[in-house]
Amino acid sequence: MTERVVMADKREKFIIPIGPQHPALKEPGHFEFTVDDEIVTDAAVRLGYVHRGIEKATESRNWIQNLYLLERICGICSHTHAMAYCLGVEKLGGVTVPPRAQAIRSLVAELERIHSHLLWLGVAAHEAGFDTLFMYSWRDRETVMDVLEGLTGNRVNYSANLLGGVKFDINGDQGDTIRRGLDFLEERTRYYLDVVTSDAVFLQRTRGIGLTTIEQAERLGLVGPTARASGVARDLRIDAPYAAYGDIPVKIVLDSAGDLEARFVVRIKELFESYRIIRHILDHLPEGELQTKMPRRIKAGETISRVEAPRGELFYFIKSNGTDTPERIKARTPTMCNMASVAVLAVGHQLADMPMILAGIDPCFSCNDRSVVIRQGEEGGAWTWERLRQYGIDFYRRQS
Amino acid sequence: MDTDTVLKTAGDLLAIWTVETSAPEPNRLDVVIEAGYLLPAVRALDEARWGYLAGITGLDLGAEAGQLEVLYHFCSGAAVVTLRVRLPRDSAVVLSICDVLPAASFYERELREMLGVEVVGLPHQDHLFLPDDWPNGVYPLRKDAALE
Repeated sequence: MTERVVMADKREKFIIPIGPQHPALKEPGHFEFTVDDEIVTDAAVRLGYVHRGIEKATESRNWIQNLYLLERICGICSHTHAMAYCLGVEKLGGVTVPPRAQAIRSLVAELERIHSHLLWLGVAAHEAGFDTLFMYSWRDRETVMDVLEGLTGNRVNYSANLLGGVKFDINGDQGDTIRRGLDFLEERTRYYLDVVTSDAVFLQRTRGIGLTTIEQAERLGLVGPTARASGVARDLRIDAPYAAYGDIPVKIVLDSAGDLEARFVVRIKELFESYRIIRHILDHLPEGELQTKMPRRIKAGETISRVEAPRGELFYFIKSNGTDTPERIKARTPTMCNMASVAVLAVGHQLADMPMILAGIDPCFSCNDRSVVIRQGEEGGAWTWERLRQYGIDFYRRQS
Repeated sequence: MDTDTVLKTAGDLLAIWTVETSAPEPNRLDVVIEAGYLLPAVRALDEARWGYLAGITGLDLGAEAGQLEVLYHFCSGAAVVTLRVRLPRDSAVVLSICDVLPAASFYERELREMLGVEVVGLPHQDHLFLPDDWPNGVYPLRKDAALE
């Protein structure tokens, strides 16, 4: 082997495969980095390891079933998917959702952003070898997870949305619990901002790494905190307000540095903004109903629904053919936009920086991978949809 | 600039290739163009720095209609402009826009493997999402895809 390396023809390329098992965070993706010594000269991406066929599956389920299916595209920003879908279907159905329901949607979306950003902070710190920060941020994240569980009954798929509104209200006691949680998190967040901008060892892994100029960010079509860390002023809560954001002043968080450090700073500063927005919503929660009636069949038409997920713009295209089942639902997730940048940004960097550059976009592979139906035979241990559905019905019958 | 003005700017930029336009929602403009004029139309938006490519949606209009439709969504603030290109279902060919917008690469690869649209000039022709041993000629998002 040594001999081969020494004798290697200059034109011979060395390709280092990374993945598909957990190239950075605990999700699958496959990358092939062509290297010259330690420097990456080319990169190729292969996705699809967590494809579940969700887009296709929506075409054989009714509008209500699809709400639960689409919420499961992502285990981190489940609420954003459900909200984008609901907002789109409500637009097509010509239904106006009560303001209190829209405010609760925005509130849960901000709680979700907090949990997502804290989760990312831990993952990214872990990739940099800073496991103390990882442990701290995930411990603190439990605060917002408890708040979400207290409000909705669930830690992950909160199922807060209904077509036409939300499922639960927020009372005074719950509001106080949220405020107490936010006060604690705000103090912790100040500490994190200090750590990521002052720890000398950590800065060696982040400052000047993965540099993306504003021109590159615009050209590559980056979205969310990844784009805002390169100075691209793009935030749908401000540009195209949805749910209750039209009534909430949202301040954009920008940084012009464009490196990994900036991506840490932007996401951490966005936490402060989320705390402020949640307090504003609690202070100004409109009175009124939580739901409005939705038709079972949605009139024919097409709509586009865009929301600002924790990772950036989530884009839904929804087409109805006038029945109780959609004709086509397309979900373009923010990671799809940002992943393309990894291949470009990788070139010229050390191989050892790759996990951090990948983690820097806060990728979500499950969001990215959606569109294939794979139905395996019974003997393989995989269940058919009917069998799974029947199991669910029997299970809940036994419970009651 | 308000959304109406932004949409009007896009409408003017695309006017010479426009076959038909519609405004399905107040913040949207749909522009139908011939497949052959896709590249100049995309280039016009890019050169004028009008928004960014937010995604590409492929639609199968069914065997009866015999057509696929590819939607190129561009966003600028709240405004969404969609370039709509219709292609014959049995020989769906479209030029890649990657030369103008490298960000289109993933979307075009997805379109290619999911709906069976041949994207000429696409730098990576291999699968992005589908397994390596996926059968040739099976496009899962076509309405009549045999997936059992």
